[in-house]
Amino acid sequence: MQKINKNIDKVIKEIKKIYGNSSDIITRTINIKGNKVGFLFLESTSQTDAISDYIIKSAIYTEKSKNIFNNLFNILKNKLFNSQLLVTNDFEKFPYYLSSGFTILIVEGNDKAIVMETKANLDRGITESSSEPIIRGSKDSFTESHAKNLGLIRKRIKDPNLWFEEIKIGRRTKTKTTIAYINGIADNKKIMQIKKRLTKIDIDGILDSGNIRDYLTVQKSIFPQIKSSERPDMVCQELLNGKIIILVENSPFTLILPTVFLDFIRSPEDQNEKAINITFTRILRFFALIITILTPALYIAVATYDQNTIPDKLLISLAVQREGVPFPTFFEIILFMTIFEILRESDLKSPTNMSSAMSIVGALVLGQAAVDAALVSPITIIIVAITSICSLIFQDSDFINGIRFWRFLFITASSMLGAIGILSMTLIWITKMASLENLNTSFLAPLAPFNKNDNKDAIIKATIPNIYKRPKYLNVQNIIKQGGKK
Amino acid sequence: MKKIILIFICLILCGCENYAELNKLSIVTAAGIDKKDDKYEITLLIANSPKNETTSKEGEAKTTVYQSTGKSIAEAIKKIDKKTPKQLYFSHINVIVISEEIGKEGFFKVADWWIRHPQTRNKFYLIQVNQNKAGNVLKIVSPLESFPSQNIATLIESNKNSRSIGDTASYSNFISRVLKPGYEAIMPTIKINGNVKEGSKRENLETANPKTYLSLGPLAIYKKDKLIKTTTKKETDAIYILNNEAKELIYTINYKNNLLNIFSNSLKTKIKLKNKNEADIYIKMKGTIYETNGKIDLNNIKEIEKTWNKSLKKDLKKLIKNVQNKYQSDIFGFGNLIYKNYPQRWKQIKNNWNEKYFKKFKINIHSNAKITSTASLTKTLEKSD
Repeated sequence: MQKINKNIDKVIKEIKKIYGNSSDIITRTINIKGNKVGFLFLESTSQTDAISDYIIKSAIYTEKSKNIFNNLFNILKNKLFNSQLLVTNDFEKFPYYLSSGFTILIVEGNDKAIVMETKANLDRGITESSSEPIIRGSKDSFTESHAKNLGLIRKRIKDPNLWFEEIKIGRRTKTKTTIAYINGIADNKKIMQIKKRLTKIDIDGILDSGNIRDYLTVQKSIFPQIKSSERPDMVCQELLNGKIIILVENSPFTLILPTVFLDFIRSPEDQNEKAINITFTRILRFFALIITILTPALYIAVATYDQNTIPDKLLISLAVQREGVPFPTFFEIILFMTIFEILRESDLKSPTNMSSAMSIVGALVLGQAAVDAALVSPITIIIVAITSICSLIFQDSDFINGIRFWRFLFITASSMLGAIGILSMTLIWITKMASLENLNTSFLAPLAPFNKNDNKDAIIKATIPNIYKRPKYLNVQNIIKQGGKK
Repeated sequence: MKKIILIFICLILCGCENYAELNKLSIVTAAGIDKKDDKYEITLLIANSPKNETTSKEGEAKTTVYQSTGKSIAEAIKKIDKKTPKQLYFSHINVIVISEEIGKEGFFKVADWWIRHPQTRNKFYLIQVNQNKAGNVLKIVSPLESFPSQNIATLIESNKNSRSIGDTASYSNFISRVLKPGYEAIMPTIKINGNVKEGSKRENLETANPKTYLSLGPLAIYKKDKLIKTTTKKETDAIYILNNEAKELIYTINYKNNLLNIFSNSLKTKIKLKNKNEADIYIKMKGTIYETNGKIDLNNIKEIEKTWNKSLKKDLKKLIKNVQNKYQSDIFGFGNLIYKNYPQRWKQIKNNWNEKYFKKFKINIHSNAKITSTASLTKTLEKSD
């Protein structure tokens, strides 16, 4: 802690020095009833009209006294209602307050300062979620404002046991990071572990929740082990289940811990629609997952090694289509898979008014012309199309990229060994996923280790009145979710 | 890193052994076996050839037929392999057609190669051609199917219901019948109607009335693996009834000098052994009047049923008599029943069963044919005065 200098000119000089004479730092000294009073704020983060209208105006009417500090504090406290108002004597905190949009009032001859919140509204409003759009369910999503984000959760869960624990991460960014959980449900061990991992972080800056994700996992894996969501309803659902949420300032994406594999197959609207339909949809998503990982590999295996496994009409049709194609099947698939990935990446990165040009080039030039030029067989285009459509069913881009990685491994294996290659790669894949663990939770739970009760909301979904217990794999303190049954 | 390299080396060393690109294969979908002098003539139908003599419609798979002769099947096929630029691929053989000479000589002589070959699937249809060369059957193109082997296969499959030929025609069915004690085999036949040369040309597809086409013929009776005789249409129907294999049947009877067609879609045949030398056959049949061509009093159904039963019995008795005395081949499996019920007796007679004891075997037919409805018309068409 560094004491505040009693000479306000020296304080102003020092602040300006710390900020390197940045253009947005505003300092003003005015004389109030014979006392020299200094105002410090950053033009870029504060509401300047509020400062002049309320703070300076109120300060002028302070009663005359020898040391005006206490009077000044009282009058501001009584006249300004809607701001944070506090007294500090720590000079080291000045830059944090200034950068956060506070106004600092210093009075000549005092080693204390009055700090008032005059934050400018730099956030966009609450908008609809763009990365996780749903049809049936609430439309709001998290924003960059930390307080608003917490509010969106608090608004939904009014229980005071919903606890927010704040940790500041980043030497320079001092990013507020909040661990949110419901006390009495969430597993204390997991909370302790998360806190331990977060406090260990010693980095210059954290700008998004994605930056701290890798600090929270132990094992390496291509599949993401932490799901992120920008939907408050989803987050609250998980909080009620006993999961722990991490919110990072300036990031609309929250982290949900611990995450299991099936979380990526679930969708936020699953709780809002009829259970039987959701069961079918989930089975469909599961099929899509298998299709998107296996289809190209299966095609290669069938076309180059195990021709005898498919019906004759199909085989002949495939053989006739491949007539005149100069590349081996494996190369053909790899080539078009790569082209599709490039297309997807460029579509994501390009502005919307350019994407129509992209789709024309992608669909017409690559699709039709390549077939006409006998560069690829039509079946390859179909395979690549099915594969990519099925992969886009999932919302988490990390998950999609994880699938992509394994798809290429499967393709390689099947191009070397055919169906046996696919079989052995499947074993490797399942082994690898089953060995993943984070925060004492197996990645494949509740499928492996199997739990009958937890499978009421795994792939098959029971109706909400029939789910009495919280998932056991989360090791929650209170497992009863709803009353009515012992 | 070392582990990854090791795994990679393992994959490369043991992989790629049976690697084959699809467009480097000649997919064989049908084979014909003929006898030419003392050599075998093999005809192979290759389904995915870009250019050839017997082409089908544009845009669909085009087929080629290759022929070669050799002292053995393997030799002939080796010769064909030299003719084709691509590797022959046998796993998708649909149909094997054999000629009458091969049937007379015994199918087992030529069967070995097709079973022993690692690629073949033993799930093909086996069919015998009537009064023609087996190779010619594969050359006939059909306007309704994309290639000849498919044509034969669908011909067999679509007749599965009416004549249950699908079961009979499969290769495994034939083999199991031959190998069962006291059972003899039957094989469906196929016929070429019209000129073979015209049938293999593209023009055959373009006419509305194709001059050359294939049709299923009556059954051929085998003894062991050798052809005895090709039956008639009527006998074929009777064989299906006795084998409990017919699911749909149109039976024509002569009723008071008028022809009456009865359509039967429910048929059950049970064979029960009475004693060592006698068996009962119970036939339950239900039918509806299908067509009449004259004035028939349809109210008197009892009498129609009587006539039907009578004619049914007559036909079956005639067939059984023929099979017992002329063909001397137990295609109904009475011997198998004796083998199951009186194994001691079967040991004594099995060597002379077909020639000596089958003749003396007494068979009683109990038929119970019923007419359930007269379909949409209750009377015959006539002008009432």
